[in-house]
Amino acid sequence: MAWTWFHRLASPPHVYRVARRLTPWLAWPAAVLIIAGLIGGLVLAPPDYQQGDGYRIIYVHAPSAWMSLLVYATMAVAAGIGLIWRMKVAHAVAAASAPIGASFTFAALVTGSLWGAPMWGTYWQWDPRLTSELILLFLYLGYMGLRSAFDDLQRADRVSAVLAVVGVVNVPIIHYSVVWWNSLHQPPSLMYLGKPTMPPSMFVPLLVMLVGFTLFYGALLLVRLRGEVLSRERAASWVREAVRP
Amino acid sequence: MRAFLDMGGYWPYVWPAYAVTLAVMALNIIWARRLLERSRKEALRRLAIGGTEK
Amino acid sequence: MPDSGAVTSPLRPAFSTAGDAAGAAVSAVGAARLVLARDLKLAFRKRSQLVQPLAFFAIVTTLFPLGVSPELPRLRPMAAGVLWAAALLASLLALELLFRDDAQDGTLEQYALSGRSLTWLLAAKTAAHWLLTGLPLALMAPLAGIALGAPGAAVPGIVVSVAVGTVALSLIGSIGAALTLGVRRSGALLSLLTLPLDIPVLIFGARATELAISGEAYGVPLQLLAALAVLGLTLAPLAAAAAVRINLE
Repeated sequence: MAWTWFHRLASPPHVYRVARRLTPWLAWPAAVLIIAGLIGGLVLAPPDYQQGDGYRIIYVHAPSAWMSLLVYATMAVAAGIGLIWRMKVAHAVAAASAPIGASFTFAALVTGSLWGAPMWGTYWQWDPRLTSELILLFLYLGYMGLRSAFDDLQRADRVSAVLAVVGVVNVPIIHYSVVWWNSLHQPPSLMYLGKPTMPPSMFVPLLVMLVGFTLFYGALLLVRLRGEVLSRERAASWVREAVRP
Repeated sequence: MRAFLDMGGYWPYVWPAYAVTLAVMALNIIWARRLLERSRKEALRRLAIGGTEK
Repeated sequence: MPDSGAVTSPLRPAFSTAGDAAGAAVSAVGAARLVLARDLKLAFRKRSQLVQPLAFFAIVTTLFPLGVSPELPRLRPMAAGVLWAAALLASLLALELLFRDDAQDGTLEQYALSGRSLTWLLAAKTAAHWLLTGLPLALMAPLAGIALGAPGAAVPGIVVSVAVGTVALSLIGSIGAALTLGVRRSGALLSLLTLPLDIPVLIFGARATELAISGEAYGVPLQLLAALAVLGLTLAPLAAAAAVRINLE
């Protein structure tokens, strides 16, 4: 029944096998969608009335920002599951996700800064979105730093899981407080084009990129997950089979 | 083509932004494959030394 | 150390009385009170250590006029921010000591094994930490505020906002301290973990202090600050207890 599905998901050899088979099913569609999104965003979408061609950065900035949040949420949920049900695989998902999320948070910061630069005249503004992304990057770095401070993998998993759960509770609080703080002072106008006012020719490539990036995360996660699962299994017999070249 | 590369004058912002994002994606792919390879080698090493547990 | 023996041994009989369910519930609070008293007593034996975070706060506050300008009108706009940055850093300094001694001499393990609620005991330790660092900081902050150009009328507002804020800081910090319990030289990592979580406290707290300094009503940010403190009060000791248990395994 439903429980056998859940239990199989907890089984490292099963997850390893499924991950291996599933990866191309995520990787190839991701590649296709991202290429389609690039063409749609760079070529097909019309220039913006206010920002000209400069707004096209949204096609890499928004998906990166989306990734930074999606990955953190996934990381926290997986960590929580690993903590409550003591599932090694769940901890492996969290460990695998962190570097992915951190790197896309970095990308979101750089692309956000480049997007705002021509409009603001400076390469940085304490824009609420950028400030929140910066704090999110610190959260990722803290998580990864905490992990690396422990030699014992199991303890690293469990301790960092507590941090991830505490962090995810804080993310909305942090975001709200940053938005509140920003509204107190007259900030430079936000750079985001509101979705309702975006014509489909602009919006569709964005959607395509969002989905493409998500699938890309899935594929990356599956590859990293295999590596993380392997390092959590001692010399179990299934490993012998799995790693045979 | 030149108009495309020029991006309405915004080329010093648009192209670096795309370059950084694509670099991050490429890095992630390399990173992930390296992690898997390292774990496999480590697992093979442990098998060679210790035999099977569990 | 012979000293700590004299203080810890009274705990043994208290902890070893096995009570029924109702008795156990009462003694969770009773045990917490004992832990609070013990921590305060121990801290007062090393009075020099108590003063250090306060001295640090004073020094950091002094850096800003030296680095920026001695003119009070120029300092007043940034006074709240400086106060809070200094308070954050001072509170971080004191955090390392929250669990370290008890972890080293095995007391923390006794707490975890005692059958009493570890959450309550850690809450008690955090309360002691606030009484020893946060509250003194709140009482000192007006002095720093005045030194940075705040008017005398702002004193109550400064005290209240820093007092409430440091409650939240102690609670959030207890989580970081619990997470890094076994880590050697955890100072930088502890800061990296704790400071992002402190940011909402900083934002609301500094806003409340700023409004107090300019003589305006500071109720709204103060209430938000208090909400954070209450949230921390309910969740932080739980998270800290979970982290301590994992680190003691």
